Amino acid sequence: MRAEGWMVWVVSAAAAVMLVHNPVYTVIVLLAARVAGVVCARSDAPFSLSLARIGGLILALSALFNMLMVHVGELVLFRLPANWLWIGGPYTVEAGVFGLSNGLVLLTLLVIFTTLNTAVSTSELVRLMPRALRDLGVVILIAVTYLPETMGQLRRIREAQAIRGHRVRGLRDWRPILIPLLIGGLERAMSVAEAMAARGYGATADARQPFFVQFLLLVGLLAVFGGWALSFWAGWPGWLLLGAGVVLIAALLWRLGRQTPHTRYRPRLWTRWDTGMVVTAVLPLIIILINRDGLTYSPYPALDWPGFDPLVGLSLLLFLFPAVVRPIQKNNNPQITQINADAFP
Amino acid sequence: MTTRLLNALIYLTTALIGVAAFAYPFVLPELAGANADAHAADAPVLTVILLAAGLVVLLVEVQGQAVSAKVVAALGVLTAVTAALRFIEVFFPVPGGFSPIFAPIILAGYVFGSRFGFLLGAMALLVSALVTGMVGPWLPYQMFTAGWVGLTAGWLPHPQNRRLQIILLAAFGVVWGILFGAIMNLYFWPFVVDGSATSWQPGTGWRDGLSRYAAFYLLTSLVWDIGRAGGNALFIAVLGAPTVRALIRFRDRFQFQQG
Repeated sequence: MRAEGWMVWVVSAAAAVMLVHNPVYTVIVLLAARVAGVVCARSDAPFSLSLARIGGLILALSALFNMLMVHVGELVLFRLPANWLWIGGPYTVEAGVFGLSNGLVLLTLLVIFTTLNTAVSTSELVRLMPRALRDLGVVILIAVTYLPETMGQLRRIREAQAIRGHRVRGLRDWRPILIPLLIGGLERAMSVAEAMAARGYGATADARQPFFVQFLLLVGLLAVFGGWALSFWAGWPGWLLLGAGVVLIAALLWRLGRQTPHTRYRPRLWTRWDTGMVVTAVLPLIIILINRDGLTYSPYPALDWPGFDPLVGLSLLLFLFPAVVRPIQKNNNPQITQINADAFP
Repeated sequence: MTTRLLNALIYLTTALIGVAAFAYPFVLPELAGANADAHAADAPVLTVILLAAGLVVLLVEVQGQAVSAKVVAALGVLTAVTAALRFIEVFFPVPGGFSPIFAPIILAGYVFGSRFGFLLGAMALLVSALVTGMVGPWLPYQMFTAGWVGLTAGWLPHPQNRRLQIILLAAFGVVWGILFGAIMNLYFWPFVVDGSATSWQPGTGWRDGLSRYAAFYLLTSLVWDIGRAGGNALFIAVLGAPTVRALIRFRDRFQFQQG
C-alpha cells in the first residue's frame, strides 16, 4: 500500500471523527483504525505506545475535568458548595458522559495517527514532501540520515569522557559532552556542504520562483484565509472558497516541482488496491457530509442514548479496508513485500 | 521591487494566518454572533487546513530566499543534533514540560538570523515527529510555533557584553517556554466545547473568552510550562555561552549573511 493512500485514509478518518462527534461512530472508527494498525504494522516499526494505558488516562482525565468544570445536567451525584470558584456546584453524570465522549475523540485521533506511523516508514513519509520543497526535502533527508550517527557520536563522546573520569552529576557536566557534539556536527555539515557543492548541488537550479507563481501563491493563500473566515458566517460557500484555494496552491506546487527533473529508485507501483484504498476512505466522509444533521451527540440537558444511523455506521467500517487487503496482498505476492522491505529500510 | 513587495505580502499574510489560527477562539464569537454556534464543530478541521496551507506557502517562500548547499547542509545537521537532544531529555533533572529542543533553536536563530531560525524550528519539530512516530494534526501548530521561536530569536539585539547576551537569551527562553505552552493549548482548547466556566464557548465576547482561557491555563498547564521555561533558562545559562561562540565561529566559516 502506498503512502499516498494511507494519507487519504488518515485525513478522511480524522475528519470523520472530528465532524461527527458521536461516541457510537467514534468507537467504530477507533476499532477499525486499531485493527488496521495492528494488521498493517511494519516489522521495523520504531516503537509502540502503550495505547491502553494512555487511552485510559485520556478518558479518565477528560471525564474528570469536565465534571469538575461543568455543573449542568439532571442526574446529580453530589454537590460542593456553590461559592467555590469554578469547582463548586452539582456534579452530574451528564458532564462525565460528555467528557468521556470528548476524550474518545482525542483518543481516536491518536490511534489513527499511530496507525499511520506504524504502517508507513519514515522514508516513505519523507517522499510525500511536495517536490517544490525539494531543498527542505534534502534537509529532512540529511537530518534523518544523520540522526542515528549523531546518537552514536553522543555515545562515543560520553564514553571518551567517562574514560577520563568524567561523570555526569549536574547540568554543568553536560557541557564537555554537548559542545563537542555540536562542533563535531558543524564540522560534518561543512564536509557535507563541500561534497554537495562538488556534485553540483544548487549550481543549475534557479532558486527564485517566477513572479506569477509567487503572485498566484499569494492569491491561493488569501482564498484559503478568506474561505476559512467566511465559513463561520456562511457555511458551505466558505468551504468552496477554501477548497479552491487549496487546489490552486496544490497545482502551483505541482508546477514548481516539475521544474526539477527527479528520479526515484525502485518506485512502489500504484495498484488497484491503492485506488480501492482511496475510494473506500473517501466514501464514509462523503456520506457523513451529505447527512450530517442529527449525527452529533450531546448529553445536555438530560442524558439520552446517542442516535445511530445504520448507513453511516456501516460506511465507517470501510476504514477496515487496509486491514482486509493486507493479508490478501501478502498471500498473492509475498515477494513484493519482501522487495519493498529491502528498498525502504 | 515588485518581487520584494510580494515577498513582504506573503510573509505578512502567513503571519496573520498564524495569529488568526491561534486567536480565533477569542475573536470569532463576537464577530460571527449567532452563526458561530452552527459552525463551531467545523472550526478545528478548517483551521488545521488553513494552518497547513500557510505553512507550506511560507516554506516555499523562505526556501526560495535562503538556498545554497551550505545552508541546506548546516540546517540538516543542526536539525539532526536538535532532534537527537530530544532523546536525551530523560537525563536532565528538570521536571515538567522541559524539552532541550528549544535552546538550540533559540541560539541558532540568534546567531544565524531569523530566516535560518524559522527553518530550523519547523524542521526540528518535523524530523523529531517523523522519527518518534508522533505525526498528527498537532504537527502544523508545533512547526509554526517552533518556527516563530527561531524567527523572533533573530530579532533580539546583539549586545557586545557576553554576560548581558546570555541573560537576554535566558530571559527569552523563559518567555517562550510559557508562551509555547499557552499557544499549543489553543490547538485543542476549542475541542473541549462543553459550556463550562473554563472552556471555549462560542457566542461570548473576547474578554470573557480570554478570562476563561486564563483559568483553563492556570488550572491545567502553568506548572508544566514553568518547568519548561526554567529548563530553557538553565540550559541557556549553562551551555549558552560556549554554544554561541561555536556557532559564531562557524557562521564566519560558512559566510552566512545575517538577517
